[in-house]
Amino acid sequence: MKEVNARGLAMKKPRRTRRASYWLFVVPATVFLLLLALYPFLSLIWMSLSDVSAVNIVRGGWPFVGVKNFELIFHMSDALLALQNTLIFVAIVVSVGMLGGLGAATLLQAKGRLSAVGLGLMVFTWAMPPVVLGSLWKFLLLPNGLINDLLVHLHLMAKGPLWLVQGHLVLLTVALVNSWAVVPFSALVYRAALVDIPLELLDAASVDGASKFQRFVRVKLPLLMPITLILTVLTVVYAFRSFDFIYVMTYGGPGVASTTLPFLSYRLSFVNYKYALGATVAVFTILIVFVLAFVYVRATKRTEET
Amino acid sequence: MKRAKSLEAKKATPWSLVGIGFLVLLYGIPLVWLLATSFKDNREVFANPGGIIFTPSFQGYERIAEQGTLGQAALNSAIISIGTTLLTVGIGIPTAYGLDRSRGTLLTFGLGVLVLLQMIPQTATIIPLYRVLGAWKLLGTLPGVVLADTALFLPFTVLVLRPFVGGLPREIEEAASIDGAGTWTTFARIIVPLMSNGIATAASLVFILSWGEFLYAISILTNPATYPISALISQQISAYGTSWAGLMALAVVGSLPILIVFVVAQKRLASGLSLGAVK
Repeated sequence: MKEVNARGLAMKKPRRTRRASYWLFVVPATVFLLLLALYPFLSLIWMSLSDVSAVNIVRGGWPFVGVKNFELIFHMSDALLALQNTLIFVAIVVSVGMLGGLGAATLLQAKGRLSAVGLGLMVFTWAMPPVVLGSLWKFLLLPNGLINDLLVHLHLMAKGPLWLVQGHLVLLTVALVNSWAVVPFSALVYRAALVDIPLELLDAASVDGASKFQRFVRVKLPLLMPITLILTVLTVVYAFRSFDFIYVMTYGGPGVASTTLPFLSYRLSFVNYKYALGATVAVFTILIVFVLAFVYVRATKRTEET
Repeated sequence: MKRAKSLEAKKATPWSLVGIGFLVLLYGIPLVWLLATSFKDNREVFANPGGIIFTPSFQGYERIAEQGTLGQAALNSAIISIGTTLLTVGIGIPTAYGLDRSRGTLLTFGLGVLVLLQMIPQTATIIPLYRVLGAWKLLGTLPGVVLADTALFLPFTVLVLRPFVGGLPREIEEAASIDGAGTWTTFARIIVPLMSNGIATAASLVFILSWGEFLYAISILTNPATYPISALISQQISAYGTSWAGLMALAVVGSLPILIVFVVAQKRLASGLSLGAVK
């Protein structure tokens, strides 16, 4: 230990010059992201303040219109519905995704072959292309598909619901499928955190007479709080960005019943060619997401300090 | 040894077995139906989409083979995801190293920017990217998609790779510099080989993500003949009167590379995902 310190002192000068050159390693990514992330991002903001159509989108030279697009958006009934849908969607995906993940992680801690199979299936599901999962669930949820067959055969319902047709049910259905897809991720994160809990702590609690449930609530849950905070923000952001499942399963419909803010900005730009309005919805969405990002950075900082 | 004796690592109780069994069904059944439906003929799927007892048929696979786009689409998928993986990991490795070792403000600032970038919805970035790639004459080309995908996955890649650098003691660089190795040599000869585990993890994750990406593909590629498989799947479903057997066959073929990566790298995926999320 001492030797290393002494060496460190003796080497002070060359070490400082070496430290100075570390930023060189970051240059390629910086240049790349400046060109393909920051510049497009600024261009998006500029678009939301301009008049951009299919004619001038690539050519440039967009007329500046100030906040006119934002005024249009705030008076657009579709946009208000999309905001409402987004909030409902996020609430469902986050609550089901997190609770499901915690539940699955707790179950999968058990050793055994069945547990390994379950974990393997979940990781594989996470890895599958979202378009495949979305198409698959659209098929399983057909009016006479597997899910409704099961409901009828198990005598839970006389006739299964029209999951992806009935207006008020569609958003819930897509949100639940999306939650199913995100549970493997939160389960993996929770599982890693559960493994890190010192066994001595749990054993001590059970020696003191704590039941399994008490050990879960009193010992595990408090220790899982920091990771829960981070995971919540990650899941909120994931749900906020979610696009693939909606695109494949409902295309935002019927009508705008399952249109969320990201889908609306896509539709406005690439289906209706109202690029400026699409950009405005996107900027609005990013503003909301950045507020969440702020919470995330605070949360990570706190866990790194502890 | 200690672990086996502990109370928490005990064998599953009957109730938790029921719970695990439910999970296996919840994630297993959809996959079984995906595979089964791909081997049904269309009449059978139409009459009874939920059925599992059927006469096997290759109609679905024949149908996608007849369309003649599958080989090209698979090639496009491979070009996009291999290109994206190489570029993303190639840029990501030095970035993760530089960020981790510079510490202080650059690290905090860099990580903050990466986290922010990761949070921007893809639907928001595609609108201006369309314009930027258009100005560079890259619309409608596979390199255009590779660049867009790289910008999309680079922040995530760096966040996954960084803890693997953080785990390497700084004494490595000190020892190397005493031996006369410069920063670059130390990085290329010593650090990169030591990061191989993290690099494999990041590469598998990026490959999976870029194989499944379709929004950039359908927006940037103007000609469906240049679509990757994911984009092809996304377009088949929107048409009314989908051939489910054909779509499921396409989905099975499109998932095979994922299966391979999964078989090779399951453990890495599991640990890499939780690592990138938290650290």
